[in-house]
Amino acid sequence: MADDKVMIIMTSGPDTPHRCATPFFFASLAVAMENEVTMFFTIDGTLLLKKGMAETVYPKAGGKAVSGFLQDAMDAGVTFLACTASMELHDLKEEDLIDGVKMVGGATMWQVAEDCKTVLTF
Amino acid sequence: MANVRGCNLPDDLYYLVEKHVWAKPMDGGILRVGITAVAAKLSGGKLAAITVKAKNIGQEVMQGKSLATIESSKFVGPVPTPVTGVVLRANEKLATDPNLAVSDPYGEGWVAEIQASNWDGEKGTLVTGAEGVAAYQAKLEADNITCS
Repeated sequence: MADDKVMIIMTSGPDTPHRCATPFFFASLAVAMENEVTMFFTIDGTLLLKKGMAETVYPKAGGKAVSGFLQDAMDAGVTFLACTASMELHDLKEEDLIDGVKMVGGATMWQVAEDCKTVLTF
Repeated sequence: MANVRGCNLPDDLYYLVEKHVWAKPMDGGILRVGITAVAAKLSGGKLAAITVKAKNIGQEVMQGKSLATIESSKFVGPVPTPVTGVVLRANEKLATDPNLAVSDPYGEGWVAEIQASNWDGEKGTLVTGAEGVAAYQAKLEADNITCS
């Protein structure tokens, strides 16, 4: 287990906008603290990776869209993994997702989790 | 105190311009470090927290690596250390009032004190004096940053 690796599992999606900024914020923060960070998107979290979707989700009315928090995390160097089963759940194809996301199976989630000192779920 | 594009930049500090942090030599090889007025501006002007990583206290942190983190409602990022050294202490006042780093970034709003490991060797990698302020001005112009 590496002591500088952390993982955030994102299950919240567009139906719960107020739950969709903090996970990205925490991911960027963990990078700023010199951690290697992976975000794993599953259940409804995967919908935030659909092209154009995060731009329409606002955690706070009149505030910054989720896409801004997502881009900050991506720019910081967070690794984005999307669960293939959740893509099937939402009828999403690889070309439907934003650039910079890797599609992986559930077993990868377990492997990354086992290699991380901390796993958070939102 | 020089005023460059609305940003206060004292010419007696040593700057790591790319990271918007400063260092000030104190007695006994100790350096006080903090964020510049530019960093305060870029962070959104109103901070939620500046936190020195607890694990860093008593440990050597390499130049450019994350010493602390800075958070506002719309921004989060590292505060890289301008010099390599052992972190002696964090400014505890920032825990209760992180905005001291905005209102008084070179005074009450300092971030940490560091026992420099190689000040003589690293001093040359920072900029200071009128030349330093000019170098910082060039960076602000290139990036089109103003503090006003």
